[in-house]
Amino acid sequence: MRHTTLIALLTLVIATSPLANADETCNSPYIAKLIKGQEDYVYVWTLGVEGIGDGSDKLVTVDVNPKSKRYGKVIHSVPTGSRVEAHHMGFTDDRRHLWAGGLADNRIWVFDIATDPAKPRIVQTISDLGEKSGWLGPHTYYAMPGRMLVQALSNTQDKGGRTGMALYNNKGKFIASYAMPTENGGDGYGYDLAVNPRKNVLLTSSFTGYANYMRPIGELMKDGEAMKKFGATMAVWDLKAMKAGKVFSVPGAPLEIRWSLNPKDDWAITAAALTSKLWLIKQEGKEWVAKEVGTIGDPSKIPLPVDISITRDGKGLWVNTFMDGKTRYFDLSNPEAPKQTYEKATGKQVNMISQSWDGKRVYITSSLLANWDKGGADNEQFLRGFAWDGKELSHRFEVDFTKQKLGRAHHMKLGSNALRTAAPKK
Amino acid sequence: MSDSGRLQPAVRAIVLLAVLAWAPVGGAHEGGPLAEPDFIPPAPGTYTLHRIMAAPDGRVLGIDGRQQPLSRYTRGQITLLGFIYTTCTDPEGCPLAYRVFDSLKKAIVATPALHGKVRLVTLSFDPVRDSPDVMQQYAGSRAVENEAGLRWYFLTTGSARELMPLVEGFGQDVRITFDRSDGRARRELSHVLKVFLIDRVGDVREIYTSTFLYPRLVPNDIETLLMEEGLKQSRISVKN
Repeated sequence: MRHTTLIALLTLVIATSPLANADETCNSPYIAKLIKGQEDYVYVWTLGVEGIGDGSDKLVTVDVNPKSKRYGKVIHSVPTGSRVEAHHMGFTDDRRHLWAGGLADNRIWVFDIATDPAKPRIVQTISDLGEKSGWLGPHTYYAMPGRMLVQALSNTQDKGGRTGMALYNNKGKFIASYAMPTENGGDGYGYDLAVNPRKNVLLTSSFTGYANYMRPIGELMKDGEAMKKFGATMAVWDLKAMKAGKVFSVPGAPLEIRWSLNPKDDWAITAAALTSKLWLIKQEGKEWVAKEVGTIGDPSKIPLPVDISITRDGKGLWVNTFMDGKTRYFDLSNPEAPKQTYEKATGKQVNMISQSWDGKRVYITSSLLANWDKGGADNEQFLRGFAWDGKELSHRFEVDFTKQKLGRAHHMKLGSNALRTAAPKK
Repeated sequence: MSDSGRLQPAVRAIVLLAVLAWAPVGGAHEGGPLAEPDFIPPAPGTYTLHRIMAAPDGRVLGIDGRQQPLSRYTRGQITLLGFIYTTCTDPEGCPLAYRVFDSLKKAIVATPALHGKVRLVTLSFDPVRDSPDVMQQYAGSRAVENEAGLRWYFLTTGSARELMPLVEGFGQDVRITFDRSDGRARRELSHVLKVFLIDRVGDVREIYTSTFLYPRLVPNDIETLLMEEGLKQSRISVKN
């Protein structure tokens, strides 16, 4: 029947209800397919460790649906065959593919997560980032309509912090590159990016280059000159024109950028890693401004806030601090004055934090960078799942990535069987 | 460039905005006001629209039932192409695309400089239901109008096999879903609305999505492409 043929050929998914317009709180606004209910999987982009398992970076799929018999278990793993400081990943706008890369290399692996969300597979390896743009160490993968905007951390020439962004189409073809601003106060460093299309604004933050992030942290911190080579700026770009505008002084390496998802809001928040401060970026009149609005822990002890996750209503913010292994919750009802209302030690070292759309489930991983993770017994490597009732984080499951010979658990993305598509017929 | 030459785009933009703001929407495709961006778009020609990808080619059917290559409708003029299916009821989906195209049509007709340089293409991704006859009904009089050299083509395909390369080539995601909100399973083709701006040689230069499809941005992009083609001077002389 023609109708049956259509269904087979259109790479269609059978779902019980349409998914709505937004994402699980921290992704590009151009990603239209949401998991508003229970997610089925957490994909963990994992750094390989020499001598542990196959030693390769890999994408690990963990079943996180409490109704599943495999709840809390690793159900799939895709090694890349390389070990290149696997770090972050991001969905394409149609959420059919997941792009992932490493900071020690310029390759980007493209995983098909739609044909079988339980079993991602590598369908493409993009390897021309350095050749085409001169950048090194792809970090953020931000979906644009039909395209992916990739923020790098370094460059191939001197492996310092001067870097930029590269634009690819969803098929992996390089389109253009954009250097981070070095004028009007810009320091040329890059880290994260996030857009507010309604305001035509792209925000970027800044970290450091390969020469620093690949060094053992103890050695690095003793090198005064090297410690000066960290980003201390954020930039507001004209998104449509992709031109940098105002540059803010935000000392101490501002990292992840989160726009409030509340449609009435037009502000973003970030955490500066080295100064342990929260910064608000907002429009006052016609001017964009950056304000220091809060402190995370005791900055003198360098708790190192490394990841943040904003709630879907823009009223709350999770902050993970690597050094003290704590997960903190800030009330953002007044974004000008965030107020910490909860904290819990969730590991001996904690890095990334992700939450479900409804905020009831929180996932935490352990690894920051291979040479920055702690040693000995403090070098826990895990994915931990928690339930959040608004008052308490309750432990639900744990995957020990060392015991299971997987590696260092880093970035997470959520998956769902509702996003499955049938494979096109040959 | 003369001072008067620099003023022309601004004047034209005002005309376009006025037309877009007041353009009524038609019949079954009516809806609330179209979304407006909360910013002043960069001026035409001050930014680059990169070549994102080549528009795919394949066989399509016009409302007369004749089979043609899609490239017949994506080359030679600047093209705005959007996928729809005629039974779509999502107000943020196909009806929005129709209304945006309707507004753009009026804006283009009101701008002599754009006459003969732009076309609109609406392509169905439901070849089972959307036959050429159905597409003709959907289009109404718009399918045959040729006001100020602007044509709006309503196309479909003969089969899913012919459609697939186009859907995949454009990266237009589509899934079958069943809306059970009223207790019955109603089949829908769930998709993220995308409108593709294609230049005269057939390269996709911009992709507008449902959440951020602001009609007032599109004329600037068209003008940017025309300026890139070196047609600005001739356009100004037409306007004058």
